Formats: sequence, structure tokens, C-alpha cells
Amino acid sequence: MSEKTAEASKDELQYVQYQAEKEEQYLPAIRQLISKDLSEPYSIYVYRYFLYQWGDLCYMALDAEGNLIGVVVCKLEPHRSGTYRGYIAMLAVRETHRGKGIATKLVCMAIDAMAERNADEIVLETEVTNTASLKLYERLGFLRSKRLHRYYLNGNTAFRLVLYLKEGTALKRPEGMGQLMDQMDQMDQYGGMGRLCRSLSEGTESL
Amino acid sequence: MAEDRLGHATTCEDHITPIVNHDGTGASQEVRPAEKRLSAGLPLRQAMKPPLAEPKTYDITEKFTKACSALEVGQLVKDEYFTLFESIGALEIMDPKMDSGFLQPGETLEDAYDTLAPILPEELISILDQLLCHEIAWHTGYPLSQTLFTSVYIDKLLWPEPKTFEQAQFYRGEISDDRRPGLLLEVLRAYCLALVKCCDFTIARITSRDYFEEEDFCTHTYNRVLLVQTPMDVFQRELDAAIERLEDHSEMDIEASLRGALIARLKFRKRFLSALDIDFPIDYIRHCWEQVSRKLPTISTTHQLGKVVPESFSFKIQRRLASTVPPRPIVELEFKDAFEKLQQLCIDCDEATRFVDIEPDPLEYQSFLWAFASRTPTPLPYSRAYLASLLFQESSLNIPLIDLRSLVLPCSPVLDPTNWALSPPRNPMLPKPPRLQLALFIDEFVERAGQCYLDLWTALGQNRCRLRRMLTHVVTGWDQLQMDAGIVDEDIMRVVTEMGIREQVLEYPLTTWVYHKKLWMIEKVVLLGFEQDIYLHDEFAGMYLFLSSVTGRRRDLLTTIKAHFDDRKRMFLSQNTPEALTNAQETDDGTRYISSLLHDASGISALSSALSKFYTKLNYLNLLPRPTRPFSTEDLRYELRMKPFLTLTPPEVYPFADFAAQVQPYAPPFFDSPPPSFSEALRTPESWLEIEDSVKRAKEEFSAVKKLGAKAAKSDSVAISWVKDVQGVLASCVALGVAVAGVKAAVEEGEEGRELGIRFEIPGIGIGKRYAEGWVVGKVVKS
Repeated sequence: MSEKTAEASKDELQYVQYQAEKEEQYLPAIRQLISKDLSEPYSIYVYRYFLYQWGDLCYMALDAEGNLIGVVVCKLEPHRSGTYRGYIAMLAVRETHRGKGIATKLVCMAIDAMAERNADEIVLETEVTNTASLKLYERLGFLRSKRLHRYYLNGNTAFRLVLYLKEGTALKRPEGMGQLMDQMDQMDQYGGMGRLCRSLSEGTESL
Repeated sequence: MAEDRLGHATTCEDHITPIVNHDGTGASQEVRPAEKRLSAGLPLRQAMKPPLAEPKTYDITEKFTKACSALEVGQLVKDEYFTLFESIGALEIMDPKMDSGFLQPGETLEDAYDTLAPILPEELISILDQLLCHEIAWHTGYPLSQTLFTSVYIDKLLWPEPKTFEQAQFYRGEISDDRRPGLLLEVLRAYCLALVKCCDFTIARITSRDYFEEEDFCTHTYNRVLLVQTPMDVFQRELDAAIERLEDHSEMDIEASLRGALIARLKFRKRFLSALDIDFPIDYIRHCWEQVSRKLPTISTTHQLGKVVPESFSFKIQRRLASTVPPRPIVELEFKDAFEKLQQLCIDCDEATRFVDIEPDPLEYQSFLWAFASRTPTPLPYSRAYLASLLFQESSLNIPLIDLRSLVLPCSPVLDPTNWALSPPRNPMLPKPPRLQLALFIDEFVERAGQCYLDLWTALGQNRCRLRRMLTHVVTGWDQLQMDAGIVDEDIMRVVTEMGIREQVLEYPLTTWVYHKKLWMIEKVVLLGFEQDIYLHDEFAGMYLFLSSVTGRRRDLLTTIKAHFDDRKRMFLSQNTPEALTNAQETDDGTRYISSLLHDASGISALSSALSKFYTKLNYLNLLPRPTRPFSTEDLRYELRMKPFLTLTPPEVYPFADFAAQVQPYAPPFFDSPPPSFSEALRTPESWLEIEDSVKRAKEEFSAVKKLGAKAAKSDSVAISWVKDVQGVLASCVALGVAVAGVKAAVEEGEEGRELGIRFEIPGIGIGKRYAEGWVVGKVVKS
């Protein structure tokens, strides 16, 4: 597709923040879009877990008719390492609309929103073989911090990607937790959706 | 948070144990005699203990419906302990993709496969091979529910749980005589029983060591007891009886090739079971895996005789195993792949058995562990646990002490055995003899260092991704040890000064020793990062710079140590007594190890320095891809990269300004057209000479390492892979020389301000395109 047409069709899209009161309107479409690339669907609770608590960190790309074309779902909360950590949990763009920078735009909006809300860092996982997804995030500034062996249910390995937004993030420690937290900080556990979480990355678009 | 850690309501990050455990199912609940196990003080994710309470049922439908009516659609009712982990574990009943109990219209709950129906010999061959595929798939990390437990035969044997061994049949209760299983089914039964016992041994072995549930291996047995209480010889007897009956031609007319194929499979299973036996006497393990290996070729060559019986494996059995997870597909591992993995398992375990015969020296152990962890394909969890169980057997070896002696205290008065023979004065008010004091200091330190050593060894037994991450934690532990070593060193230096023998002892020996090991581990972390594709291409210059700086410090330490060894030798030679001459010889022998380390560290430092400077040039020449990164800055990325090392003492991490000055020597704008200062520098021979010199030096140093040999490097037990490694690094040096020449030529031929007309290709990981996985050397391609 030429750049011009890509621009044009991108222009038709509307990027909007999710609103909890419109769950009935949007959630079925969000579920459908994300489940499409998963070996196992998430229950509705997973979506509500994110959307009820961090609906304002969810952005949707809608076409002129209001159909859902792409979505990004995030959370932002204190991590036990002491940082205020944003997490990009789900990102998907309809197959017919990939390659137009829609996912990039959605992720940028999410990062901006999290930065606005004082996030220290933003993390996510993606399959090591998903070059499109890796490129997307790495172009924005993410680095690979860990390789996670057999991270996904299907036995595939993941990279943990991290973006620092603030200086001093690496040295942050949880407050008032003393030694226990020191130990916990040493814990090298997965911070993400984990093996139960299916492979999400397949849903990301190529650039 | 504190309660979180203790209770089970932890966040999803705390454990990824699947929800299946919540319904009370879990690994075999039979208790084994406690196995001797040294535990490492490292964060390890272990299987969760299942709750034991009896379930009670209450009908809350009415209350629930009423309460729900007060909620908005989408409103989430949760307390603060309800985590993402739990929300992910939730299922929607009657959704066929989530609810494993859901039946499509007309679908039956179970398959109608008859486990007593007679089977053909060729069908039996295929069933046995399919079972083997599932067993190996399980070894690679998939749960039993998607592998072996999909076999209708295995299911019948184990469920309902047989009260006695005899009850473990393909049927329960009474059956009529005409339904009694014939020879082939009896053969299948014997094989399956032994297979189940193999699984029991496998779980016992793996869980006796540190591993990561679900990531490395799944131990869940879904309330099936894997014949834990039945002793080994019972299974052997069943197999023997089956072999005997097959060999007896009068019982059944079977074509010779099929008969042979079946017997080969039973004999393999017998050997395999015996090798997996956790009580296998260590004195006999040397050949046990080789004996398994010898049984393998026949299985492979006769595999095509089989005739598949797909119905004997069922997707539906899962329903009864784990009702709280969505239905998951049967894992399909091709026979060819499974067979290769099985072969590899035998080879790796056979390699591990060599451990019992190697020289009892922690540094040889270290080399062995490193080489084992570096094997390709990477050893399966079982093989790693097998080696770990050999390593952590009770040993009288004083591990840190031997290492200390080799590196910093050659023939030292500090480690003189007579120090330990002295008694303290009767009157506790009197000072202890200085030599006894030395012995006590060393004892104290060695005990303190033991745990750190254990942690290092434990890390070396993990999967490669874990190894890298765990090493960063181990480094932190050694960093603390270094501080403690400093205190003991003060005491040691005070005593040896009082004794007037200070010149015989290396300054601050314990600190030096700890620091050396710590730096070595940091280097490994960086190299593993390259090996695991952690760094982006435009980060190479910075990461090799860091590596070069860390190794440079280690090289400096080793230079001091080497001088001390030389001094000691000179001193012994000047004394000219028989004892001193022996010591001189011993010190001289020890110097070979130090020399090997010194050459190696110098080589690493030179090569990484050359790579750093080279990749810096490539960055300016726009030969490496570089993302635009609108959300990030150079210093934030640097902070993230250096995170594991920021707290170390002494500091290993350059301040950002110093770092930037080195990887961006030609003032910004870095990423636009190269600054004039760079274009000029590019054309001066000096800027290339520096790189060429480093490459040349690296080559000389590694050649010296190679010449000193595996024994000097305390890698005698793994000499073959050691030589291969050294040759790999040497080849990397050569490749770098070629790449540098290529770029230099393109720059010289090209006109200023013009495109260079070349591309630079970086070889990916694990495809055999790198001479050494941690040393990334690209090549010039004409564009």
C-alpha cells in the first residue's frame, strides 16, 4: 500500500479513550479482537480487571462507522520493586488494518497517558519471534531486559521489554519495607501476565 | 505485602502455578524419605502446596442473584487481594473454549475406546512409540494432562486408583475369561507400568533440585499416584516376564521383525527405568546411560513397522484431570523429534556421570558446570537435575578453601595445615597463638562464603535464560561477601604483620579472591546478554565497552596476583631447602592457572575493547539500525542497562557522562550526518590502528591461553569443549579483523560525503553463524 492511501485510511480512524459506561457497546468487540489471536480466550473478568480499574489507560481506534479496529489495554500501579510501573497488557489491531501505524499510535497514547500519571517505567512481554511487535516497541525506545524461557502456554519464549520514563528508576526501592522487601526485590519472578496469559503478542500489527 | 508472601493470595507476579492446584490436585502426594538437599538462598518458584480442607457445598444461588441485581454492568467487585493472576484463572462456564466440561450437542463425556479389545503387534509398536513421544514431550515441559495422560491405557491403569499393584489393570473388577487380556495387552501393561514408574522417578529427581515449575517442567499428576510405593524390582519383573513370553514362540505367532521390535522396546524401557532409578548406586552409574543409548537404534529403525491407533489417546481425559483449566490440545511431538531428544537426554546424562570421576577441585567443577550449561541443544530439566544431584552429594571437600588457595594463597602460611593443629590457651584471657588466629579467620570466612558458592552452582544448573538473570542476583550476594572479606582481611593482615611474614601474603587476599569471582560473573552476565539477543545493535558499542572495563579490572587483579606468585616462587628458590623447593614447584604449577586466567582476561578485555570501538564507528557511519525512540533518552536507557550493577562496590558502572564520552566520542549530533571531527578521524590511520592493535593483542592472548591448555585453565574435565570455545573466540578475532578491514577499505575508497556502498550484517543467535555466541562479529556486504 502506498503511503498516501495509508495516510488516508488512517485519517478516517478516530482514537478514543475507553469509557466504563460504554462497556456494553465496546467490550464484546474488544474481546473478539483480542481473542482472535489467542489459543485460549480470557474470561470477561480479565478484561474487567483492567478496564474497571484502568479504563482511562485503554485506547481504541474506531473507523467511521464506529467499528473497533484496534485496542490497547494497560494498567499502572506501584510495583513491589518500588517503582510506579505501567504495563501494556494487550494490544491488537484488526488484520485488515495492519501496517498503517495504528498500533504504534495506540501505544503512544497509552505511554503518554501513563507518563502523564507519573509512571516511572513501562513494561510488557512479547514473543521472541514476533519481530513486528519487537520493532514497534523498540522504535519507541523500549529495550529488552530479560529473556523468559517458555513464558507462554504454547511453550514459546518471550522478551521482557522495558521503557524508563524517569531518572533514578533503577535505584528505586519500596518504602518502609526493610529487609523483606530487599529480598523481594531480588526475586526474579515474572511481573507480567504469565504463562496462563496466552500469547498476546500475535495480535500486534506489523509496522 | 508481608502477608501476601506468606499466604496464597499473592499477586500474579509471585507465582505462576496454575489454578489446577486450587482444587486440591497436585503432584504425587506420597511422601518420600527426605532427600538430602542443600538449599540455595535464591528466589526460586516452586510448586504450590495444595490446600487440604474437605470441600463443603452451600447453595447460594438466590442470595447471589439478589446481590448481583444491585450492580452496574461491568462493575468489578473485588477486594485488594484479588489479583490479575486470579482474574486470569477465571473460566466462563458453558463457553466451549474455556469450560472443559462443556459438551457439544451429541458429544459423549468419554470415548468408547475398549482397552481390552485385542490389538495387533504393529498397533502395539505404534502405541508404545506414541507413549514415548508423549513422555519426551512431558520432559520438555508440557503437562501430563496434554501428553501421557491422554493415553486411555495409562488412564485405565491409574484411575480409579489401584489399591494394590495387581489392581493396576486395563479394567477394574471382575471380567469374563474371554475378555482377559492376551499376550500383547500384557506386554503393553508391563511397558505402561514401567513407564509410569519412570515418570515417578523423573519427578522425584527434578523436584529434589531447584527448578521452575511450569517453566522448566510440570510435576502435576492430577491426583494420580504414579505407583510411588511399588519398588523398582516389581516393574523389572513385569518387563522380564513380558520379554520372556514374547521370546517364547509357542505362545503366539508373530512375525519375527515385529517380535524383535517389541522386545527391543521392552528392553529399552528396562534400561531406562534402571538409569532413572533415584537410588541407583553411584558406583555403577558410569555406564548406565550408555546402556540405554545402545537400546535406541532398533526403536528408531523399526518405528515404521507400527500401525497407528489414534483412538487410544483421547483429548477428553483432561476433563477428569483438571476441570479448572480450559481444554488444551494434545501435544503432538513427532517421533523423529522425540527420538532425537531422548538420544540427547541419554548423551547429556552420560556426560553428567563423568562428573563423579573428575578431579575434586571446585574450579574444575565450575568449568564442568559451565560447559554442561553451555551444551547445545540445551540439556533438558531432567539432565540438569541429574547433574545437580551428583554435584550436591555430600562431599567432604572444602570448596571455597581450595579455590582460595589456587587463586590467592599459594603455599601460604595463612593456609598452613599446622595452623589448625594448634590449641587455644587454657586461659581464655590470654591471646590465641597468631597461627591459630589465622586458622579461625579462614574458617569463619570459608563458612560465610559457602552459601555464595552454592548459589553460583545452583545458578549454573538453571536454564540459560534463568542463568543470566540469576547470576545478577548471585553477583549481589558476592558483593556483600566482598565487604565481609574486607573485614577478615584486615584481621589477617594485622596478624601476618605481627608475625613478620606480611611479604609472604598477598595484600587483602580474601577481598581479591571474591572480587575476581564477582568480576568473572559480571562478564558472564554481559556475554550471556549477547548470546540471548538482549542488546540491540546500536547498544553493542556500549555493552562491549562495559565488558572491556570490567574485564580490565580483573586483568589488573590477576597481574598483581601473578606478581605475587612469582615473588613466592623466587623466595622459595632462594631458601634452597627440600621443602622450599617442593613449594617452589607447587607455586610454579599454580602459576600456570594464574597465567591462563590472565591471558584470558587480557584477551577478553582487548577483544571487547576492539568491538566497542568498531561498533562506535559503525554507529557514526550509519551502518547499524537505530530506532528513533521518541519516548526515551540515552541516559535513561543506560540506567536501565546498568541496573543490575548500579549498587556494586567498588562501582563498576561508568558515570553516564564518561560512558557517553566513550561511545559518542565525536560530539553530537550523533545520529544525523557524521560530525566533521568524525569524518576527519575516520581518515586518520591512528583511529583504525587502535582497533587493529586490540584485535591483534586479543588474538595473541587467546593463543597463549590455548597453548597453556585445558589443564592450566582447570578445564581438564571438559577439554574438548574448552578447546572448541577458545577456537571460537580466536575465530571471532579473525572475523573481526576481516570486518574492520572491510569497513576501512570502503571508507578509504569512498569519497567524503558519499554513501559507503556497503551494508553491515549482524549474525543472529543460535543459527551457527557466530563463532562464539557471546562475541557478535558482523560482516561487510557490498550493497
